[in-house]
Amino acid sequence: MPSIYFTESSQLENFFNQLKKEFRVFAPVVKDPQAKVVDYYCQQALPETPLIYNAYRVVEPLKSFFTFPFEKAGDYFSVDKDISEIAEKTVLFGVKSCDIAGHKIQDFVFLEGVEVDNLYKLRRENSIFISSDCTDFKEVCHCLAWEILPHPTVGFDLNLSPLNHGYLVEAGSIKGEELIHKHKANFIPAKETQISARKVKRDNFIDRLRRHLLPQNLVPRDRVQKVMKEAYNADTWKEFMLTCVECGGCNFICDTCHCFLLGDQKKGALNSKVRVWDSCLYAGYARVAGGANPINTRAKRLRNRFMKKFDFFIDNLGLPACCGCGRCIEVCPAKIDIREVLKDADKKANLVIGNQ
Amino acid sequence: MKNIYQPIEGIIEDIVTEAPTIKTFTIRPKEEFSFRTGQFIELTLPGIGEAPFTPSSNPDIKQKLDVTIMKVGRVTSLLHSASKNIPVGIRGPYGKGYPLDEFSGKDILIVGGGVGLAPLRSLLFSLFSQIERYNKVVLRYGARSPQDVVYKDALLEWSKMKKVDVVTSVDVGDAAWKGNVGLVTTILKDLPVNLTHAAAIVCGPAIMMKFVTLKLLDLGFKPRDIYLSMEKNMSCGLGKCGHCRIGKFYICKDGPVFTYEQLKDIHDIWD
Repeated sequence: MPSIYFTESSQLENFFNQLKKEFRVFAPVVKDPQAKVVDYYCQQALPETPLIYNAYRVVEPLKSFFTFPFEKAGDYFSVDKDISEIAEKTVLFGVKSCDIAGHKIQDFVFLEGVEVDNLYKLRRENSIFISSDCTDFKEVCHCLAWEILPHPTVGFDLNLSPLNHGYLVEAGSIKGEELIHKHKANFIPAKETQISARKVKRDNFIDRLRRHLLPQNLVPRDRVQKVMKEAYNADTWKEFMLTCVECGGCNFICDTCHCFLLGDQKKGALNSKVRVWDSCLYAGYARVAGGANPINTRAKRLRNRFMKKFDFFIDNLGLPACCGCGRCIEVCPAKIDIREVLKDADKKANLVIGNQ
Repeated sequence: MKNIYQPIEGIIEDIVTEAPTIKTFTIRPKEEFSFRTGQFIELTLPGIGEAPFTPSSNPDIKQKLDVTIMKVGRVTSLLHSASKNIPVGIRGPYGKGYPLDEFSGKDILIVGGGVGLAPLRSLLFSLFSQIERYNKVVLRYGARSPQDVVYKDALLEWSKMKKVDVVTSVDVGDAAWKGNVGLVTTILKDLPVNLTHAAAIVCGPAIMMKFVTLKLLDLGFKPRDIYLSMEKNMSCGLGKCGHCRIGKFYICKDGPVFTYEQLKDIHDIWD
């Protein structure tokens, strides 16, 4: 049985304020409450920052707490081969189910394979995820299409579900249990009726989201790899790239995109190795010395992005590298919509002459 | 905790000019460093940049390694204008290298193009050091012109070895050239190789590997017996940075040597 507790809203606020004294805490804030669609941003909580419950995911991808757009990756020539970063224990509030699902890709890349990225691991070990159920969605949200529920079931330390005048708090890890134990004055074990009420709320929300997604006829998870294989030569890639400005926004805001470039930096007499996020839509992404470029057209680059997400990761991890958060759709100045690209590819998949 | 992106320091100890645009750099790492034949390293000019190269020296020599580099881009141009005794960074070795055990007891055909002979030289050293394990080694090498032929002395030396058969060709000859003229595929006829028990190892520019592979298939080599050295933009070398994906593989960690069997159903492998 999972350990689930109940906390009054004021008690949760109390818990939040306590955590701010113990940890570096990031939590959702609203910058423009009058906006037609409210955006939540995850920012470092100040002592006076109130706790805000984000109805859906924040703007920033979860990965941005674990790898940075630009950071030092090594020194020339450091005798000390160890990674030196002051490990700051960090609590992240407002994490959503899609973020956790997307983060599986980051974990797979940086924690598994031939070597473990120890800096990533350190940051991961020093972070505590306090996730929460989605109670609303943005137009772009489509987690259910990838069979990801709008409430987390694994991968969190604590998860919040709003209920009446408070929250049900589920501990999903030892770290989570320890936090509850340390602040036990704020929590009481949840009653069966409360847990049943959570299920009803969750089911109702899933229904709402499903009704939103149903008319969209999205490509389902179990067919997406086949679509990719069959639409390799479709004109989808060319058509959808017509408006792309190659800003890389979709990559940088994506919870699953992980590509980076190891470069060098010269600062006076000091040379260092740097790690910079890279975008597969940039013309130079795959270019080699001498100028050869296997993805030398915009269409090939878009196709490459989709092949990576819906072919490569399904082969290597059994998961598509999309969590349905819709951040790439929102950020795109050219209005390129990942859902529409896949639907178009699906439509044209079997019509292409010359497919293998 | 170990930083997996941290280069170790090396010193360029010697530079040999092989061809107008090709030089071999001998590098002495300041720390213990070893590689298996066919694995690659990321060689850095500190503060400037790095590029992937497969060492061309004998992996049994532990104190230093050779890297044969063609001047094609920013880092390689700067390396070509570098002088001895400058510090360089080394990361690696990366990738799986050549599966020597799979070659055991076989007729080994090695087909090189241009500077693609560099990794193959390392392989040849490894094969020669245990030549009793292999039935024979057949080397077919093609370069653009006589002056582009690398390791000229070594080629001559190898051609005199027992169990070793060497033929070289150039695309365009000159007055002094006595050897074959024509693309490397033209010297793949009448190979002294028993196809039922052979391995073909190919390294060179993509276009050359493509046509050599087609030729070898035509001759009756099985896709699983053709080993190709694939190349893409490789940044981290560890299967994390994402650049060198080909189908379900990363060239850096799953290769850089693949059998044609592994690659044949993947789109655009020669691009």
